[in-house]
Amino acid sequence: MSDPAGRGLETRSLTVRYGGLVANSEVSISVRPGQVVGLIGPNGAGKTTFVDAVTGFTRCEGEILLDGVRIDALAPHLRRGSGLSRTWQSGELFGNLSVAENLLAAARKSGWATVVRDLFGRRRAGAGRDVVDSALAVVGLEDVADTLARDLTLGQQKLVGVARALAGGCEVLLLDEPAAGLDSMESQAFAARVRSIAEGNGSGQGPGILLIDHDMSLVLGVCDVVNVLEFGKLIFSGTPAEARTDPTVVAAYLGAPVEASHA
Amino acid sequence: MQTYLQFAVLGLGLGAIYIGLGTGLLLVHRATGIINFAQGAMAMWGAYVFAQLRLDGTLMLPIGSIDLGRRPTVAVAALIGLVTAVLLGLVAHYLVFRPVRNAPVLAQVVVSVALMITIQALVVLRFGPNNIKVDSILPEGSWSLAGIELSSREILMTLIMAALSAVVWAYMRFTRAGVATRAASENERAAVLMGFSPDRLAAVAQVIASVLGTVAVTLGSALTGLNPENYTLLVVPALAVLLVARMESIGIVVVAAIVLGAFQSIIGLLVTKPWWPVWAQSGFDQIIPFAVVMVILFVLGRRLPSRGSLQTVRLPDVVIPRLRLVPAVVLAVVGVAALALTSGSYRFGITTSIIVMLLALSYVVLTGYLGQISLAQGAFAGAAGFTLSKVTSNLGVPFPLSVILCGLVASALGMLVALPAFRIRGAQLAIVTIAAALAIERFVFNNYSLTPPEGNPIAAATLFGINLSVREGRDLSRLSFSLMVLVIAALLVWMFIRLASGDTGRAFLAVRANERAAASSGINVRMTKLIGFGISAFIAGIAGCLIGLSRGQLSAESFTVFAGLQVLAVAYLGGITSVGGAMVAGVLGPLGIVYVLLRGVFDLGAYYPLISGLGLILTAILNPVGVAGATREQVAWVRRRLSRGGTAEPPPVADATPKPKEPSHV
Repeated sequence: MSDPAGRGLETRSLTVRYGGLVANSEVSISVRPGQVVGLIGPNGAGKTTFVDAVTGFTRCEGEILLDGVRIDALAPHLRRGSGLSRTWQSGELFGNLSVAENLLAAARKSGWATVVRDLFGRRRAGAGRDVVDSALAVVGLEDVADTLARDLTLGQQKLVGVARALAGGCEVLLLDEPAAGLDSMESQAFAARVRSIAEGNGSGQGPGILLIDHDMSLVLGVCDVVNVLEFGKLIFSGTPAEARTDPTVVAAYLGAPVEASHA
Repeated sequence: MQTYLQFAVLGLGLGAIYIGLGTGLLLVHRATGIINFAQGAMAMWGAYVFAQLRLDGTLMLPIGSIDLGRRPTVAVAALIGLVTAVLLGLVAHYLVFRPVRNAPVLAQVVVSVALMITIQALVVLRFGPNNIKVDSILPEGSWSLAGIELSSREILMTLIMAALSAVVWAYMRFTRAGVATRAASENERAAVLMGFSPDRLAAVAQVIASVLGTVAVTLGSALTGLNPENYTLLVVPALAVLLVARMESIGIVVVAAIVLGAFQSIIGLLVTKPWWPVWAQSGFDQIIPFAVVMVILFVLGRRLPSRGSLQTVRLPDVVIPRLRLVPAVVLAVVGVAALALTSGSYRFGITTSIIVMLLALSYVVLTGYLGQISLAQGAFAGAAGFTLSKVTSNLGVPFPLSVILCGLVASALGMLVALPAFRIRGAQLAIVTIAAALAIERFVFNNYSLTPPEGNPIAAATLFGINLSVREGRDLSRLSFSLMVLVIAALLVWMFIRLASGDTGRAFLAVRANERAAASSGINVRMTKLIGFGISAFIAGIAGCLIGLSRGQLSAESFTVFAGLQVLAVAYLGGITSVGGAMVAGVLGPLGIVYVLLRGVFDLGAYYPLISGLGLILTAILNPVGVAGATREQVAWVRRRLSRGGTAEPPPVADATPKPKEPSHV
């Protein structure tokens, strides 16, 4: 791994208020390329709020930097365009489109120039199909490319969500509870995929990944760094090994020290 | 100052009607979550029944009538009018709104628009299109206040309506049923837990709303007389009032209604002043409801409370079209043959059908693909048509360029109307667009200084020396004109298919399916909506130009709000998600070939608006995929059967794609 300092995602004192309620308070974390960073915390701790704020779906204060450039004034689609990708807790696929179309919607550009190209440009059969195939290969779902998204199982939908977030490339990938609803077998397979996405699938360095999940063994097993949120505040940031024994983390979230064998 | 006060008081007549309609809209929305665009039309029916009874003692029913022999007294006639309103409220609930209570918002908007068209058409059929006089229940008179004579009738009306609204407020506030209705608007289960059926509560709300509106219109129409179009469209200012009250407060409805009525009346006085610009004299009062709607929904960006019920906002599925040579050639040959083998009014009917197909196609782009509702497509078409009149007769722009230019003008207008769609969607967007359509119709199309009443001639088209005019000598429908329409339509359909099957169409469908997910996938949702409105309005604009060219000249009657809504009706009827649906819509559309046949062969032309309204209600309830979609399903089913060689084995699971009928939850 080359020195990635300054690259990837960094938040500085990110704060989100809903009326009088402070949902995120001064949260500063970073996700470097190739790194898998965990974000855990009890229900209502503000994890999804954090992802929404970083990706532009919730108003926030503080700074958000991608590769050292501030992106906190950008609209969500521009943040995606500059390399910040996310998935949604509930999948949020385009249910009426096929899986391949879902990925193409993310990978292909749209706008007035596209209108002109659609109207008068030459059209190649299967344009962009390579992007679709490679993104689906990452999550191991090549065979459902032509299925309607809403006909997939929940587990498949979440994986397609990941593939859609990867389609067209990204610098940092935010995964919002991607393993919720998966059984332990699927969850383990998913952990391996997350690791291999971060490692660039054998082709050098992949994107940085922020992983939010309830599945402790998944998060502690796969992450390089773990951040713990409680009532919107960051109460811990360190390696999984430190997290298992840190008294504040144990008190807030884990209940009892997690045995190393789980990881 | 004195005159202003007097005019303000005169405006209370209108204000009283807004109170009745606005309170009814609010109540129905709270009980059902539906914005009832038919509120004005429903209120009008009972008032018409009252007026007709007082005129000649005839009790007019939707079908048939009863002659009472002599004119009943005012009290008896008013009572009969109110009973009619109760029945209409029940019918509206059980036959129209109840079946779509869990349907997508689009279906709910379409159903209420369909009911509005239907009642309006029925009123025209039963009571005639012209203004009729209405007996005044309240005595005429005047009160003097500090030496100023003020008309007492308007003040009394307003007091009565305010008092009735107070009763509704008390019902909502103090009765268990009313509290349950309010609870149901947050969460339907809450009403069930209180021991009430949300369905029953909704029926009660519909009845109260219908009665309240009828009282208001019966009282108010004594001042102006009844007229089917104006009273149906009074729902638009009432909707503005509803938005001011954030769909919650009856008190604010009353105040806003009074202020709006008085203000519109004062505007009516101001435009007669010498310093008022001549071009802004007519229809300016209709700008105000639109301005109110825009300020509240767009500028202030207020989110209105939405209802917590289980709604699947799913539209019929889209089959991404492909350009295929054989069907295209077959269609072209059929089109040319149909035009060549007919003449006169039949050929004109087919030509109109092709134009209406384009208007329906503009809905396919906007609603079918992008999932946005617009009730202003007729206004886009009209704007292009009137511009065509200006650029051909005043500037002499030559033919193909002139039409393209006007299409672009419509496109620009469409994108302007799209701005509110950045923030709002669903029924609220329907409110904005119908208010915009009404404002454009009254302020632009009916404005004599912009569109002279002596006519807006449109120069006939010529291309490379070929005369493309629609008529010549005794030939009222020339083949070359019809072929030109066919060629232009074919070009636009080709463009549509290119876009729909390309990256643009996919982006539209992604936005339609899920705006958040689209944004997180890098799609610029606002830009996509802007493009969708632009393309849709462009197609509508070209259609408007062709309407202009086919008439030779234009008047405001060519592009009324109702004409636009009728096209929405047939577009939905045909199938809002496909080119095939647009073609069906064209065949069925107003003044199209089916209309010509109805008129010529069966002598049923007068029933056309009624039939299209009823047809739309039935489609929206029973078959949201439209005629084309249903046909496609059946064809697919037959194919599956045939390909299996007639064996009756059950279809494999993978084949069992969910039927697009599902979303209606009937």
